[in-house]
Amino acid sequence: MDAFTRFTNQTQGRDRLFRATQYTCMLLRYLLESKAGSEKLVMKLKKLESSVSSGRKWFRLGNVVHAVQATEQSIRAADPVPRLCLTLANLNRVVYFVCDTVLWAKSVGLASRVHRERWQLRAARHYYCFLLLSLLRDLYEIALHLAQAADRGAGGEKAPGDAQGWQAGDHGESERLQPSVLLLFRSLKRHPPLLLDTVKNLCDILIPLNQLGLCRPSLGIIGLGGLLSSLVGMVTVAYPQMKLKTR
Amino acid sequence: MDAWVRFGAQSQARERLCRAAQYACSLLGHALQRHGASPELQKQIRQLESHLSLGRKLLRLGNSADALESAKRAVHLSDVVLRFCITVSHLNRALYFACDNVLWAGKSGLAPGVDQEKWAQRSFRYYLFSLIMNLSRDAYEIRLLMEQESSACSRRLKSSGGGVPGGNGGPGGLGTPGGGLPQLVLKLRLRVLLLARVLQGHPPLLLDVVRNACDLFIPLDKLGLWRCGPGIVGLCGLISSILSILTLVYPWLRLKP
Repeated sequence: MDAFTRFTNQTQGRDRLFRATQYTCMLLRYLLESKAGSEKLVMKLKKLESSVSSGRKWFRLGNVVHAVQATEQSIRAADPVPRLCLTLANLNRVVYFVCDTVLWAKSVGLASRVHRERWQLRAARHYYCFLLLSLLRDLYEIALHLAQAADRGAGGEKAPGDAQGWQAGDHGESERLQPSVLLLFRSLKRHPPLLLDTVKNLCDILIPLNQLGLCRPSLGIIGLGGLLSSLVGMVTVAYPQMKLKTR
Repeated sequence: MDAWVRFGAQSQARERLCRAAQYACSLLGHALQRHGASPELQKQIRQLESHLSLGRKLLRLGNSADALESAKRAVHLSDVVLRFCITVSHLNRALYFACDNVLWAGKSGLAPGVDQEKWAQRSFRYYLFSLIMNLSRDAYEIRLLMEQESSACSRRLKSSGGGVPGGNGGPGGLGTPGGGLPQLVLKLRLRVLLLARVLQGHPPLLLDVVRNACDLFIPLDKLGLWRCGPGIVGLCGLISSILSILTLVYPWLRLKP
């Protein structure tokens, strides 16, 4: 229970827990909708989902500052490609949180003249850009690791002596000719933070894709994606070493 | 900005900010009503207050476990009185949060059969017991500190003044017996001065006393034991929220057992 307390004491931990609950409700609704006699349960799940979703807005208030700080940190990244991607991503995140705050003000009745749909679209657009740029950064890092892994395979070819020359050469060749998928899998396995971040961004991107109408996945897919990304978020809060760090 | 990030990262901090905002709205609503502001504005403030209240209930969803954990830790304290007061206070707080969770389930439509009024009264009762325990603990700590302070004072007087017996105005003991009312008044004055000195020397204790005293008005009003009105409740709630935000920003201000 001590671990649970420490976990939930962090706002991010509680928020991810509620997000997981929200998307689990969405997934369960999708699974139970077609079943007869489960209308009451589906109604309850919908109410839970909407109250958790509106309650989570309180967790996001003030996150503009977090995003601005993250932008400042990403400007100092060593590598130029991640620096560009992350800075632009975090700038988009700042605008997303500003739109989110405006929507919160509308929902509590402080800003009655705000056009909700317009601001929702704006928020979704910036969230989409943030996720795309984060994925771009992830792909760059994956490519970097793949190139390193391929170099390691080529290096192995030269290491042993002349006597075993053709055998070693054979080994090196097979390393290089290994299917890229296997190489990709191996390099991701060696870098769990990168794997987790990629999975999280891929799952999250379904949400703005649906909101912007670019792609219409079913409620179940969105729910599953949201649940997976929330679980990944919870893992990075519980184990901070699993968070992808900017070099 | 870094300070805000670290502050906001604690979920309790965000909940305290929402609490301060909620009671500020309550106070503002009362002030606007007294000065005859437009019903539109009053409605907006009331709506914001109810949103804040519901939002806080969600933010507090895991707090029962937190309170139970604190009660578990308090059981190991050495002082018997402190152990009793703090443990019972945390247990009551855990029950208060549990009732609060039931209220949230009712308000958000998950458990529509929940009797809001009954559970609200229950929750405020547990909150009141918890505050009474907190104030008892504060009173005990103050008494201990006052005894320490008065014995330290009398030791200093004995060592500096060469032990004049029956001396006039020594805080440890007073000279001529049977002075009646003036002597009682003097005794009371000295006690009050000693109390002021003790509280001045221990800011965490002073903060805790003020906070608990302010908080006490809320359940007293809601349970109908002492109807102070929404203005007083709002002001006291705002003051206690600000004080608890201070203890989060400056951890040395938090009263440690």
